[in-house]
Amino acid sequence: MEIDRRTFLALAAASAFRPHGAMAAEEEALFLGARLNAGAFEAAVIDATGRDRLILPLEARGHSFAIDAPRRRAVAFARSPGRFAIAFSVDGKGEPLAFAPPPDRHFYGHGGFTPDGKLLFATENDFEGERGVTGVYDATAGFRRIGEFGTGGIGPHEVILLADGRTLCVANGGILTHPDYERIKLNLATMKPSLSYVDIETGDMVEQVDLAPELHKLSIRHLTLDRFGAVWFGAQYQGEDDLRPPLVGRHRRGQTIELFPGPEATLTALDNYIGSVATDSSGEIVATSSPRGGLAVFWDARSGRCLGERSLKDGCGIAPLANRRLLETSGRGAIVRTGPDTPMENVRATDPAAPTWDNHLRRL
Amino acid sequence: MYYRLFRSFLTVCMLTMPAFGQDEPDTIAPEIGNRVLEHYITPVLARFSETSSTLSGALNAVCKGGSAPEMSAVRTGFSDTLSAFAHVSVLRFGPLVADNRFERIFFWPDTRGVTLRQVQGLLATEEPLPSDLADQSVALQGLPALDYVLFGTGGDALAEDARRCNYALTIANNVADIATQLEAAWAEGTSFRVSFISPAADRDPYRSKAEVAGEIVKAAGTTLEFARNAELLPALGKTVEKARGKRAPFWRSGQTFAFVAGQIEGVQRLIDAAGFVDGPSELVNGYGRGMNFDLSHARETLLAVETAPEAAFSEEQDRGRISYATIAMEGAKHTLNGELSGALGLVMGFNALDGD
Repeated sequence: MEIDRRTFLALAAASAFRPHGAMAAEEEALFLGARLNAGAFEAAVIDATGRDRLILPLEARGHSFAIDAPRRRAVAFARSPGRFAIAFSVDGKGEPLAFAPPPDRHFYGHGGFTPDGKLLFATENDFEGERGVTGVYDATAGFRRIGEFGTGGIGPHEVILLADGRTLCVANGGILTHPDYERIKLNLATMKPSLSYVDIETGDMVEQVDLAPELHKLSIRHLTLDRFGAVWFGAQYQGEDDLRPPLVGRHRRGQTIELFPGPEATLTALDNYIGSVATDSSGEIVATSSPRGGLAVFWDARSGRCLGERSLKDGCGIAPLANRRLLETSGRGAIVRTGPDTPMENVRATDPAAPTWDNHLRRL
Repeated sequence: MYYRLFRSFLTVCMLTMPAFGQDEPDTIAPEIGNRVLEHYITPVLARFSETSSTLSGALNAVCKGGSAPEMSAVRTGFSDTLSAFAHVSVLRFGPLVADNRFERIFFWPDTRGVTLRQVQGLLATEEPLPSDLADQSVALQGLPALDYVLFGTGGDALAEDARRCNYALTIANNVADIATQLEAAWAEGTSFRVSFISPAADRDPYRSKAEVAGEIVKAAGTTLEFARNAELLPALGKTVEKARGKRAPFWRSGQTFAFVAGQIEGVQRLIDAAGFVDGPSELVNGYGRGMNFDLSHARETLLAVETAPEAAFSEEQDRGRISYATIAMEGAKHTLNGELSGALGLVMGFNALDGD
């Protein structure tokens, strides 16, 4: 594990300089994303004006983050099938701490903290056992791995903690991979994606829901929680290109999954692929981004109604900025303010020389 | 600069196509879909259909009491069918993906040895054989299963083992059925073919010729990656001690290297048919020729391996050959996904390309 501490600390020191004067709350917000910058992989904390506040060099491509906002720290995860995670202070205090899963596991790139900041959960692949697990790490003891829960499926991707603070919701994408075969999908014919709910105090699976059998190739990948407590997800379809199944769904505990296709033209344009899901600050607007379609689509969390779409080529990272407004990043260097009510505004225009933002953007 | 670095992370490459309504790049042959259909898809599907039918016929003769000449026809029929499928396997989109057809013909990689377990189980019971394999496990339906039935333990006694022979025939019939379905799905007037040769804004799945070109680039890249990462490297292992020839496809029939060489040749013929070697853009053609240079070397090197696949992955000289072929395949894939795609005007996206 090689971390360039000198760079990290130098940038951390620079991050102490905050803008002065009265600034809108929106502009005080900080975001965290993984990116490729002039050939170097890194995690970056930026503000709403797109300015870098902190840069953490990564040894390879990162993916998403677990954020422990009250304690001002985060964990950057390697992109699947990577095996590194780095815990760091988002204010650049102290040195980053790298850790890894056991040799027979790799990360899927997502995780989360308990509200008390004591435990970290990470989605992982038990590749010899061909099953997904949630690794449990003691965040009070150097991120020592203290156990794992089975996710009841294959290929768990994103995991979120529900509002009760003790139930994890895991998106089992259903796709079997093995690091010997890099990222080749080994079980397309027999995929079975699901949402699993795990009680973190007992490790019990308290609920699991599947899609209808004809949608068994609809890989449930990314999750967010709306203000009403429902889980929203974005999916990626692994079946035939000329089929356009719904890609966005909602699940309320104890009920069946609801799917929202939205307008036909929008569904077609999403190109069977959603890369990130987020809510706005109110939790009433759900945003789904499709880098393949170059589109962010907004949904009303109450009704499931599609509220419209905004175009951003290779746009994927998306995070809440304010009510009905989100910040979105692209693989072509753009950072934009977007939402269902207003035209998209460039914070930074597309620029081939700018950092290339990866799939996820998180609000600190 | 960043592109050069991140391209090594491309796996099953995905391209972000220009949105329809934009100007079409003039580096792409105007009749790209037609060219590929006429010079690649139609002939390779026809050959697959023909070879798999011939194989069924040969098995039928053996199962009805044939002897040495018929057995020889079965072996030839199997290698011809594999060779034909090697070319078909490059077309891993549209009809070949629908209804799990690819997996039904070629369930691979089989990391847990499911085929062996299920096929042995089926041969060992006295339950009636399924007359139609289409709704059975994909591991029981295709060419890896047939490789075991014909060339695995007990394969020599095929003519005397009615159950084994009938199962072999059922697999061959199943593969021949899928070959027929593939031809039908690509036949004149089908919506997929219309979209492929005449892409338009209101047609699915191809809305522009750039999307068709992107599909071809993706198919070629996927084949090279799959052949390298799923067919050769797991058997090669990182060291000679970790070599496992039995993790390669079709090692029992000794067809591993011929099969991979056939897939590489398929990629060469596909990019040629698409106009990436002799098309409207000299820049593209240069990269296409560069790919062909690498791919020809990879193919020739694999075909130079004379040792049985089971042992070749552990033999020093053959390991060198196989290893060289994987490097040349990787080089060709980089040229394809990088310079050639760029020269075609296909815009690659960091996220869209290889998302998660």
